[in-house]
Amino acid sequence: MGIIFYLFHPNQLRSIIQWKVWHDPVHKRNPEKESPALRECFRYLDLTSRSFSSVIQELNPELVVPICLFYLVLRGLDTIEDDMTIPIEKKEPLLRNFDKNMEIDGWTFTENGPNEKDRELLVHFDVVITELKKLKKPYYDIIKDITIKMANGMADYVLNAEHNEHGVMKITEYELYCHYVAGLVGEGLTRLFVEGDLANPRLKDRPELTESMGQFLQKTNIIRDVHEDYLDKRRFWPKEIWSKYVDSWDDMFKPENLAKALNCSSEMVLNALKHAEDCLFYMAGMRDQSVFNFVAIPQSMAIATLELVFRNPDIFSKHIKITKGDACQLMMESTQNLHVVCEVFRRYIRRIHKKNDPRDPNFIAISVQCGKIEQFIETLYPRQDPKKLTEQMDKKKRGDPTADPGESAILLGVGLLTLFCLSAIMVGVAWYFGARYDALWSWTQDKSSYHWPGMGSDGESPVVSSASAVPSIEHSEL
Amino acid sequence: MSEKPVTTAQKARELGRVLVIGGNGFLGHHIVNQILDDPLWAASHLSVIDLRCTRNRRPDTDKVAYYEANISDAEKVHSILEQVKPDVVIHTASPAPQGDDDIAKDLFKRVNVDGTAAVIAACQQAGVKALVYTSSASVVTDNSSNTINADERWPLVRGDMQPEYYTETKAAAEELVLAANRKDPHPTFLTTAIRPAGIFGEGDGMVTHQLIKIYRQRRTGFQIGDGENLFDFTYVGNVAHAHLLAARLLLVTHRAGASSIPLDYERVDGEAFFVTNDSPVYFWDFARAVWRAAGSDKGTGHVWAMSKELGLVLGFCSEVFFHILGKPPTFTRQRCTYSCMTRYYNISKAKRVLGYQPIVSLDDGIKRGVRWFLEQEAAGLVPAAK
Repeated sequence: MGIIFYLFHPNQLRSIIQWKVWHDPVHKRNPEKESPALRECFRYLDLTSRSFSSVIQELNPELVVPICLFYLVLRGLDTIEDDMTIPIEKKEPLLRNFDKNMEIDGWTFTENGPNEKDRELLVHFDVVITELKKLKKPYYDIIKDITIKMANGMADYVLNAEHNEHGVMKITEYELYCHYVAGLVGEGLTRLFVEGDLANPRLKDRPELTESMGQFLQKTNIIRDVHEDYLDKRRFWPKEIWSKYVDSWDDMFKPENLAKALNCSSEMVLNALKHAEDCLFYMAGMRDQSVFNFVAIPQSMAIATLELVFRNPDIFSKHIKITKGDACQLMMESTQNLHVVCEVFRRYIRRIHKKNDPRDPNFIAISVQCGKIEQFIETLYPRQDPKKLTEQMDKKKRGDPTADPGESAILLGVGLLTLFCLSAIMVGVAWYFGARYDALWSWTQDKSSYHWPGMGSDGESPVVSSASAVPSIEHSEL
Repeated sequence: MSEKPVTTAQKARELGRVLVIGGNGFLGHHIVNQILDDPLWAASHLSVIDLRCTRNRRPDTDKVAYYEANISDAEKVHSILEQVKPDVVIHTASPAPQGDDDIAKDLFKRVNVDGTAAVIAACQQAGVKALVYTSSASVVTDNSSNTINADERWPLVRGDMQPEYYTETKAAAEELVLAANRKDPHPTFLTTAIRPAGIFGEGDGMVTHQLIKIYRQRRTGFQIGDGENLFDFTYVGNVAHAHLLAARLLLVTHRAGASSIPLDYERVDGEAFFVTNDSPVYFWDFARAVWRAAGSDKGTGHVWAMSKELGLVLGFCSEVFFHILGKPPTFTRQRCTYSCMTRYYNISKAKRVLGYQPIVSLDDGIKRGVRWFLEQEAAGLVPAAK
C-alpha cells in the first residue's frame, strides 16, 4: 500500500501503528533457553506460516511447543499432498505412513519438487522429530492421532478421481472436505487446550462447536479464493449450490452472469454464517488469554473477510483480502475478551445486513441468520435485565419521581427548540426543492390530491387512507 | 397446513373435544385448519364460537359446529359451553387492535377483559379441562422503548405505564386466565397463555395489507432509522401450532390429577409463553421481503434513510396537519417509533417446555402470506391495497 492510500485512510495507518506499538504479547518465547533443534523448528514456523507464526509464538508456555510442532507436522503433510511432481502411487503410501515416519529419528524427505515452497521443512524434518519426542505423552498422542486421520483423509482425496476431476458436488461433500482440512485441526487444538487445562473440558462433549470453528474459517477461505482456485483449475464450491444459479462453473466467471454469480456467492456466505454462533460459544470456553487470542484472531479475520466477499463482484476476477489496517484493528480487538470479539461480529454482521439485496433469493434467509447471530450475542451479553426493569416499574408504581421537575422542564425546552429548528430546516429545504405551500391550501379547499414533499409520485386519497411510510404492525399479534 | 414431515408411524395426538373461540378469525381458523388437516392432531369433536361464522368457514362435511355469539354475552357463552361440553377451549377472540377513541377502548375492555372473564367462568362451570388463551407479546412492552431479547421473566407493563389500552386489556385478560389455573373450587381446570409477536400469513389483513399498500404507492424508498432494529414477525401457522402443543400438554397434566403439580421447569399450566418464528429480522428487511414477494424489482439503492428524529418531527407535523383537517393521519409519531423500535423475544421456554419449533420458515411464511393476499385481492375478496 502506498503513502497515498494511507494519506486518504488515516484510520488504517493509525490501526497499524497502534498494533505495532501497543500490542503487548501475553507470553514471549525465550530462544536463549531453547535447544538448537527447537529454535530451528520456530524458524521453520516463521518460514511456512505467514499468519499463524506470531500468534503461536505468543501462546502459553505450556502449549507453545506442542502447537508449533502440530503446525509443522500438518504443514509437512500438506507439502507432500500438494506436490504434483510426486506420482500418486508414491504419494498415497507416503501420506498413510507419515505418522510412522515421524517416529523415525533422523527421517527427512528430499523428493519434493524444487518449486514446492515448503520443501525445506521436509528436508530438515529431523529437527521436528527430535522435538516431537520430547513432548509430554498426551500432547504427542493427540498430534499423532490427528496426523493419522488427516493423512488418511488426504490420501483418500488424492485417490478420489471423481472428486479431482469434477470438484465438490454435494454440500455434505463440501463440509466433509472442510472437516479434513480444518475441522481436524480444530479437533487437535481443542484436545491440546483441554489437556493443558487452558480450556473448558466440556468442549470435548460438544464436538460440533470445535467443528464449526474449522468450518467457518475454511468456508470463508474457499469463498474468497474462488477466482484463484478457478485459475488453478480447482473447485470447492459445491455443485449443489452453484447449479441453482448457472449451468456450468465457467459461467460463474462471465461478466454477463454477474448477478447470478453474486446471488450464488451470497448463498455460500449464508452457508458459512450458520457456524458463527457456535464459534462465539466455543470461544467462551477459553480459559487462558493467549489461547483466546490464538483462536479469536482467525475468527475475527474470517467474519471480516465474509463481509468483504459478500456481494463483492471482485471475488470473481481477482484475489481480494482485508486491508492491513483492518487486520491490525481486528487483531487488537481479538486480543481482549469475548465481549469485544462479539462486538466485532455484530459490527460485521450489520455491514453484511446493509449490503443484503432484496432481489437476492437468499435475502430474507441472510437477514434471519444475521438476526440469529445478533440474538445469540444478546443472550451472551444481555443489555436488558428483567430484574432492573421490574425494580424500575415498582418505583414508578409507588410514584417515586424518576427525574426532578426542573430537569424535565429543561429537557422539554431543549426538545421543543430542537423540534422547532428541525421543522424550520425541513420546511425550508422542502421549499428550496420546490414544495408549493400555496398548493397545500388550495388542496384543503378542493380535496383533489396531496403529495408529501417527495414522498412517492402517487398521490393518495387521505379520506380513506390510513397507510403510511410505516406499516401499522404494532398490534398485529392478534 | 403443517410442513412438518409426519411419518405414518407417528400417531395423531388426541385433543378430545375442542372449542375454538374466534375460530373464524385470522389465527382461529388456522387452528381449526390444523386440527382438521394436519395428521399430527386429532379431535373427537370440533366447535367454534365467533361473532360471525361465515368467513373462513370449513365446509359442512368437516362437521365443525359453528356458534355465533359475542363472548361478552356471558349467558350465551355459558349455554353454548354447557351444550358442547369441550375438553379443551382455545380462546383467540379479540377485536382488531386499531383505534384509540372511547368506542374502541370500550370494545377492547368488553371483549378482551369481560369476554375472557365470561369464558373462564363458563369453562369452570362446564368442567373444561384446559384453556389456552391467546395473549400478546406486547404485554411486556410499553410500546415505545426497545424490547431486546425479552423472555418470560420480563414484567408486565400495566396501568399508567401502558400507553396502549389494547395491550393493557390483553395483559389484564392474561392475568385473569393464569389466575384461574387450578383455582378452587376447580382444582383440575388448567390454563396457559401464548404470547405471539407480530402475526402474519394467510388471512392477515394488517401487516401484509399495509406493506403491499406502501409498495403500490411506490413509497418503498423511505426508511426511518438506521434499519438495524430487529423485530419478531411470526407466521400464523406457527402460532396455531404452539396453541395446539400447549393444549395437548395441559391435557397430559390434567390426566395426572389435581394433586400432582409438574416441576417448575416443565410446567405448562399457569404459565405464559412467548411464541415467535425464532428468527428476529431487521424490521425493514421484512418489509422489503414482502415488497419483493409482491413483485418489487428494487434493491436498496433507491432507499433514503431518514433519522428517527426527523421522522418524529414529520409525524408530529402530519398529526397536526390531519388534526386540523379532521382526518386520520397517514403518518404518526407512533408509527415512526414502531419502525425504529427493536422488539424481539427469546422463546427458549416455549422450545424447552412446549417442544415448540416453528414449522414454517419466515421466508416461506412471507411467500404464503403475500400469495394469499394477491389471490384474494384479485378475486375481490379483500379490499385492494391501493
